[in-house]
Amino acid sequence: MNTTAQQLDTTAIAPAVYATITDAICREAEKALESGAVAAVVGWQAGRRQGTAMPAIVTTPADTDKLIFSPACVNNLALYLSKAKKEIRARGKIAIVVKGCDLKALVGLMGENQLKRADIHVIGVVCPGVRGTSEPLAKKCRECTVHTPEGADVTVGTLPELPHFTPAESEELARLEAMTPAERWSFWKEHFARCIRCYACRQVCPFCYCEQCLCDRNRPQAVETTPRPAGNMAWHIVRAMHLAGRCAGCAECERACPMDIPLNLLNRKMAKELKELYGHEAGFEVKEKGPLAEYRENDDQSFIK
Amino acid sequence: MHVKPNHTFEPKIVAFVCTWCTYAGADLAGTARLQYPANTRVVKFPCTGRIDPVFILRAFQKGADGVLVSGCHPGDCHYMAGNFHARRRFAAFRALLDFIGVDLQRLQFSWVSAAEGGKWVEVATELTERVRALGPMREFKELEAQEQWSGAIDSPELQEAYEAVGNI
Repeated sequence: MNTTAQQLDTTAIAPAVYATITDAICREAEKALESGAVAAVVGWQAGRRQGTAMPAIVTTPADTDKLIFSPACVNNLALYLSKAKKEIRARGKIAIVVKGCDLKALVGLMGENQLKRADIHVIGVVCPGVRGTSEPLAKKCRECTVHTPEGADVTVGTLPELPHFTPAESEELARLEAMTPAERWSFWKEHFARCIRCYACRQVCPFCYCEQCLCDRNRPQAVETTPRPAGNMAWHIVRAMHLAGRCAGCAECERACPMDIPLNLLNRKMAKELKELYGHEAGFEVKEKGPLAEYRENDDQSFIK
Repeated sequence: MHVKPNHTFEPKIVAFVCTWCTYAGADLAGTARLQYPANTRVVKFPCTGRIDPVFILRAFQKGADGVLVSGCHPGDCHYMAGNFHARRRFAAFRALLDFIGVDLQRLQFSWVSAAEGGKWVEVATELTERVRALGPMREFKELEAQEQWSGAIDSPELQEAYEAVGNI
């Protein structure tokens, strides 16, 4: 962690920005529900404790005033539209409030035919950043390139001028890449050894929508399910591999991890690697196929004898 | 009196091969009586496209010191594009393993056609010799050993057990 990181409180930079966005979200949600265009709105509402937020599913225009947008709105709501949450989709057309990173996940789901663009109403939020688990600004927000979501049905808010942040996560990634393989191994071994296999990272990931997870199967067993070092290592490698080229970088896995394993470093590394190899990057444009689902005849094969 | 032989390290190589090209190539090497180290355990797959990275992990975890993945040359795939997909997947998987800290010298990918018995011998020999020089793959085995043995792989109790078996 960068200890000299700017002491930025996201609430301090733009409380008014968040308030106007909250208003706009409520208005849009009310409009959408009143006209009957959507059956429900997926957004955030205030949590029970001061300064927290949690996902909300609103179905009546009267309830829309409980929707909020604040620095605590970290949850990636795209999760609620994945196939794993069929009961929400069954209601009909759904409006969803998304930040830029969440919209990337939504676009990824569309690319994987999990979701049709026509079936959802996207309320994009211009997001100045959200809170991290232990720091005032989440690590992913320090190097966010998608403050303004593109391609939403409506986009609310305007971007205030943001200070320049040191990209903590990229720096950490560079530090790891500069290590010797043995040092990297011991870094990850230590982190993965703490894993308790709660699968929070999987449950919170919009891209982990398989009806049966490979890692839950035990006949034949591909990955050991007990929280032992060997199985943990295998689980995290499999997870990173399955998300390679798909991950939208919302870093929800890392946020949900009770053991503080830097999971997004793995995702970021794979995203970087696939961009270098195949020029693929998660964005706002729906792509028919991910980098590992397609091929070119002249792909690099210098590593193959 | 029985004298316990001095065991030297013999690498275990697991080869994941496709049935249409490399398996036939290895078969050709056999029928042509070409010699290559007997360290390779061949596992046959319908196509390299069927080989999941989990298999490679599993092989390392279960004691392989080196893994060879081999299939048809690009354009020769029995299923048209299986090896093209596998190529991308393995390029990504290599990057991931490297990032985790696995020595990539233990993992070899190759294209060996049904006619290339000689190349199969070459690839298998080269990997075996390289892994022999590197020594045993300890990383994954240490993970396997943890908790079962309440300690590192060189703990006295484990050493004792190894000596009793007379092999590692």
